[in-house]
Amino acid sequence: MTEIRNPGMSSATLGQSSDSGHCAVDIDPVEYTLRKRLPRKLPKRRNDVYVNMKTDFRAQLARCQKLLDGGGHREICVHGLGLAINRAINIALQLQASSQGALQLAANTSTVELVDDLEPEDPDEAAEPMTRTRNNSAIHIKVFYPDP
Amino acid sequence: MSAAKVKMRQKKLKNQPASVQFVSSGSPQHNGGGGEGSSDNDPPSARKKSSHLQSLWVRGHQKDGGLYPDKMPSFITASSFARARAAEVKAMLKAVTKTTSSCHIFGALPRHMRRRAMSHNTKRLPCRLREMANRLREKSLHGSVKKKQTKRTSRKARRRHGNMLLEFNRRQRKNVWLETHIWHAKRFHMVKKWGYCLGDRPTLKCYRPSYRAMSTHCLLQDLSYYCCLELQGEEDKLLNCLSQLTSKEAGPTFAQKLCLSGQRQGSVVLYKAGQFPSQALGPVTFLWRPRTSGSADRQLWTWVHPALKQDILAEFQSVCQCEAVVLPPLPLVMQADMVSAAGSQPEPDKTREIKPTPGRKRKQSHRDANGPPAKKILGDGTRSPDIPVTWKSSSTGIVINDLTMEIVRYRLIGPQSHSVLADALEAATDCDDMSKSQPSCFWWPDHCKEESKMKLHQQQSDVFHILKGIYSSAELPPGTVLGLTVDDPRLNIPKKRVKALPCVEEAQEVDNEKRKELSLLGVPEHCCQSFLWEQSVRNHVTENKISEQELNRMKSEVLVPGSRLRPTPLQGRVPILLVHQSGKQGGHEMNSWGAGWDLLVPKGWGMAFWIPLVYRGVRIGGLKMSVTHSQNKGVPHFPHDYPDCPAGARFQEEQESELLEKFKRRPPAKRTNYIKNGCLAPFCCPWQQLAEEWDVIGSGEERKEDVQAKSDAAMQSEITSPHRVPASKPATHFTVLRNSKSLRLLSSWCRPTSSKGQRLHHVREMPPLDLTARMTFQTTHGMSLVWIRLSLLAKGKPDLHAVVCAPTADDLKLLKKGPGASGPQEPSHRDPLKSTIKPSKKSAKKKASDKTRDTPSTSDQTISMFEEPLSSSSACDFVLGVWSNPLPSVVSHCSRVTLGWVTQADFSLSAGCGEALGFVSVTGLVHTLVGQPLEQRGMVLLRNPTSLQYRFAKINIEV
Repeated sequence: MTEIRNPGMSSATLGQSSDSGHCAVDIDPVEYTLRKRLPRKLPKRRNDVYVNMKTDFRAQLARCQKLLDGGGHREICVHGLGLAINRAINIALQLQASSQGALQLAANTSTVELVDDLEPEDPDEAAEPMTRTRNNSAIHIKVFYPDP
Repeated sequence: MSAAKVKMRQKKLKNQPASVQFVSSGSPQHNGGGGEGSSDNDPPSARKKSSHLQSLWVRGHQKDGGLYPDKMPSFITASSFARARAAEVKAMLKAVTKTTSSCHIFGALPRHMRRRAMSHNTKRLPCRLREMANRLREKSLHGSVKKKQTKRTSRKARRRHGNMLLEFNRRQRKNVWLETHIWHAKRFHMVKKWGYCLGDRPTLKCYRPSYRAMSTHCLLQDLSYYCCLELQGEEDKLLNCLSQLTSKEAGPTFAQKLCLSGQRQGSVVLYKAGQFPSQALGPVTFLWRPRTSGSADRQLWTWVHPALKQDILAEFQSVCQCEAVVLPPLPLVMQADMVSAAGSQPEPDKTREIKPTPGRKRKQSHRDANGPPAKKILGDGTRSPDIPVTWKSSSTGIVINDLTMEIVRYRLIGPQSHSVLADALEAATDCDDMSKSQPSCFWWPDHCKEESKMKLHQQQSDVFHILKGIYSSAELPPGTVLGLTVDDPRLNIPKKRVKALPCVEEAQEVDNEKRKELSLLGVPEHCCQSFLWEQSVRNHVTENKISEQELNRMKSEVLVPGSRLRPTPLQGRVPILLVHQSGKQGGHEMNSWGAGWDLLVPKGWGMAFWIPLVYRGVRIGGLKMSVTHSQNKGVPHFPHDYPDCPAGARFQEEQESELLEKFKRRPPAKRTNYIKNGCLAPFCCPWQQLAEEWDVIGSGEERKEDVQAKSDAAMQSEITSPHRVPASKPATHFTVLRNSKSLRLLSSWCRPTSSKGQRLHHVREMPPLDLTARMTFQTTHGMSLVWIRLSLLAKGKPDLHAVVCAPTADDLKLLKKGPGASGPQEPSHRDPLKSTIKPSKKSAKKKASDKTRDTPSTSDQTISMFEEPLSSSSACDFVLGVWSNPLPSVVSHCSRVTLGWVTQADFSLSAGCGEALGFVSVTGLVHTLVGQPLEQRGMVLLRNPTSLQYRFAKINIEV
């Protein structure tokens, strides 16, 4: 579900949209520029790995492997948001496969609330800039050595 | 003979008797030879004789004589002859006794008898010289006493507080110091710029740590040198006047709704009244004061760079018709009114005391008369009192105030800047009932009495508390404003420098809902109000600041050493404003990088806020770092990236002369020959020439394709309709394209249509780049430049003034082969000027006297093309290896067609590749894009001025 909030005014003209992270249907694309804010961050431990789509897959895999092997961590957490969910799963499975079954996985899913800014483009300044929230899925996979 | 030699000779012969030169002068011969009597008796014969005698006395060959005399004189008068000889002997004796080398007595001694210690102890000298030496010594001692009087006072005296202030005020007469100057001067390389002394870069090596601070923690900068211009008046009148300076086509203006309510800070580029696409003045940021109930007057602060303050001030005055200068006494009356309105004690004499701050001298005399302790002059204390700061319009009622140096502005950049603020500042504590009941001379107790004000304060401090629960500054809506009153931040300085970190976990559960609301809606409108807007409160707070010394004394009297001072002294409440700065907005990478907060503090409190912030583990940046910041953020930086503004043009001239001086300091053999590298403008980019040449090329094509385009032009008219420009525009000066619609169109054309990683987040119908669209675009923006960001595809670090070129079809094929293709090479150019310079140098040596005749003779030998620059440039400003004005054609100078130049370039730590910011000609860009295949749109070549190697780069135009 998407909430659309309009500072100063009620959100009258805007309707609901799908929660796939796609641009809103009812908003006239010519009228507004969409600016996405970064997802809310939380403090990061050393064994947290946030997966993205820009970095090379092998590099991210090697980073996780290094944390488990040389970093001295018994467990790591692999986080993926939206499009990166696939990749996060892939990394976790690759880690498990390369460890010959020594590693175990525990996956959790969650929903992350994201914020978008909509800036009006028409020069008459009749429309106001708006902010809306939308939801996106996330996955958190714990990769760990089971206690003996 | 050189001048020095003549001088030396004169000095040597100073004490010599003149008659030694008996030979050369004519008169003595008369004495010696012909007697007086003889000359009387027979004038003609005597004259003859004397001429004979003359020739007798002359030694060697003489011009006038010609022949040697073959006859000796027939008679000699004994008495006169003897007299003449006696004079000669006397002169000789005199010359012998005088020393020649120097007037010092040691000259009288032969060299082997001189000892160094003789000058110290005269008894070592021989008796006959001793007396004279004593005399000389006394004289020199006397001289040294005289010198001692002019010597400066002792260090202790100089370091005395009052004297130090005097000295400081003298030193900042020309270039004003910021309040943090002394702190900076100990740690930074200082530069004198725009009438201020500013920190350029730290003396530490900390480029990378500073970048890291910006991207992970917090970087602090002192931006107090930005000038604040205040406009007061009725809202619609203000908007009416200001709307002439901006255009809606270039984006939001002063009238933007959220900004107008005071909830957001806005920024605009100002133009001269009604001249929109041309004659830009420069960028300003502005902030409206939230509406106060019961008053139609609004207050607007515009923050401008000092380089363009005068331009904008003059424009404001003409637009608002504010010609009448309000003399300094008048605002004092107004102040007093406002003070009473604000409910605090009006202190007119105190305000008057601080207002005219002409310099130390008057201050000192004032102190002598009345006896109050000397105060450091704050703010723009060096400004002379007769420079007006307030202008009022009789027709519109608008008042313009120049608040330069009245408000201290610090910028905190980085995701943790809010936690630094939350750590360092504490919302003002309420005062206890006793002080409330007593009438006091401070503003805060009066303030506490009013219920509504306290309620507002409570809400503001609630919002401020929520900040602690936020992880990154980028989570907030960009440009949010928060007003607040805080306690004196000096009271809770940590003992050690600690890194401020957010405490998300604790705060999370408590106000999760509130945090969400804040990040969605921003700060509610009424919380944006601050008492910083009131001049009376500002002055009051500045005057009543507890001195460092006093505060330390109070701290030392605390029972438990090191604990916080309680209760907070009544003077220690300061109104501030916090303004959020948005991070990177355009583009898709590194979103909201470099977001942060600006902290506005009344003057005088600069150091009191600076040190507590520094103790929160922030890095401090200088001017260099702000350039890096805007570079990574991908926004144009003033004044580097505004060549169409007068201030930007001035900056370019300065930069050119600076770079040329630096170039000339190198030995000639070690200089780069820019001509051979095919670099026309290594120091200053000829934007005007570029735009003109491309305009000619564009219009030439237009004529060719005019017939074809005409029929389609009607269909495409909807594109052109928003930016209609008179067709027969006299192409005079180039402009920078800031029309947001055109920029968006151009941006969509620059993107390759189908490429990975370039997915459009919002699919939008943009007219495709075809012939008609191109033609219409060119007619409207023929003389325009467009600001672009270039990122290199593979290797290479771009330099300042690197040239942006259009790739040929072969180059694009090369790029297709592999991503690692390093790009083509420019063939080395011939230096036609070098051959002309060499002979001219030789001939210049030969006939140094006649330079003007020399130049055309050498230019005859050259090719006719290069005749012009050589003859026009005077011989002195001619530098080997650099083209002199006028330049040959810029566009077609190299093997690849020139599109533009780079104004800022560096290896970008955030993107991990070389990145450059610069301008290209719109016509040239469109021309290039049309010729490129769809999947390789927006590829250009970049070449440094010092190299021949081209590198592939990608154009991004971010809207």
